[in-house]
Amino acid sequence: MIAALGAAGTTPLHRLPAGAKLLGLALLATALFLIDRADVLAVAAGLGLLAARSTGRPFAALMRDLFGALMVIAAIGIVDLLMVDAATAAVIVPRLMALAAFAHAVTLTTTTAEFTETLERGLAPFERLGLVDAGRVALTLTLALRFVPLIVEEAHEIREAQAARGLSGSPLALVVPLVVRVLVRAEEVAQAIDARGFPPPRSAPRPTSLPSSRQPDPTGDRPSHDHP
Amino acid sequence: MTTRDLGYVALFAALIVALGIVPAIPLAAGVPITLQSLGVMLAGLILGPKRGALAALVVIALVALGLPVLAGGRGGLGVFAGPTTGYLVGWAVGAFVTGFAAMVFDVEGASSAKRIAGLAGAAILGGLVVVHGLGILWLALYSGLGFAKAGMVSIAFVPGDLIKAVIAGLVTFQVRRAYALERK
Repeated sequence: MIAALGAAGTTPLHRLPAGAKLLGLALLATALFLIDRADVLAVAAGLGLLAARSTGRPFAALMRDLFGALMVIAAIGIVDLLMVDAATAAVIVPRLMALAAFAHAVTLTTTTAEFTETLERGLAPFERLGLVDAGRVALTLTLALRFVPLIVEEAHEIREAQAARGLSGSPLALVVPLVVRVLVRAEEVAQAIDARGFPPPRSAPRPTSLPSSRQPDPTGDRPSHDHP
Repeated sequence: MTTRDLGYVALFAALIVALGIVPAIPLAAGVPITLQSLGVMLAGLILGPKRGALAALVVIALVALGLPVLAGGRGGLGVFAGPTTGYLVGWAVGAFVTGFAAMVFDVEGASSAKRIAGLAGAAILGGLVVVHGLGILWLALYSGLGFAKAGMVSIAFVPGDLIKAVIAGLVTFQVRRAYALERK
């Protein structure tokens, strides 16, 4: 698994519910785009840094986290200065810094589990309309994360095998076998999921005639079924 | 969506993330390229518009969930507050367009050269034109640069993406000989 950026904690931002933080961030981002005063935006950038610092993450670590973003912001500021004017740069740079800092503060204080819960809650209305199946969305996200280290390992294996045969350095020699392995594995994973009857049927009784996913897969040679 | 579709979408999303972790391959010219955007093109070319776009959407969702899944270990909501959001969101639209174009351009029974050219063309249309288009649109609105100047910033990445589109076409052609999959 990949280690998430966010972690549990006890600071005020940690204790705020994830949904509230996301809503607050969205409102704040909108407000920052509507404000055109350099002095107000500079204060916002300062507050953003304070918010990120309030998560208990040391200042040096924060600077490391935000280094890439700050470089891009600096580059945009320089381009604005050279090609547009100083007034634009004075508005754009603090605005981007404030956004980056506040967003990072939310990321740092929200665990992936909390985000996933919020995502499932956000999908609930669509689920009631029959547009998505939140359980399957969550399963897809989890599967994707679970298989990243395996695919990275396979990529290394393919490279080593080919280096031994003197084939190193060609993107084709790496990516073609990697993609074929991914496709084969995806099929195996799907069979394993079907064999286990996962995800379990939702607690609310399903209309019996609804799901189109029960139709046999027209592309496949074997019938597919969600639940045995 | 059958369970098989779910598997393809999840594992292709994992492939896109993995291609951002695997060290970049130095090309003949000595310019290293990260393979993550190649993964997005491949998702469209191999899985087709719907599943390809979903694979890209899964990656975007993982970014939003605070996971460092982008090349260089970037992730979290800060990415969406950054100037490159247009390119990231462009992945989903770009994969869809790539897949749709592949269904049109990759004609069954045409010569190998024609099929590879069609696949590369589809990757250029979706993975380059659409992704850069949305990227420039966002960057222009976001940085106060205006479209022309934002476009000039973006042009630096066009040669690398052109090479990736050709590689994506070649990879797809070879993969489909080993593993036939109907695009959808």
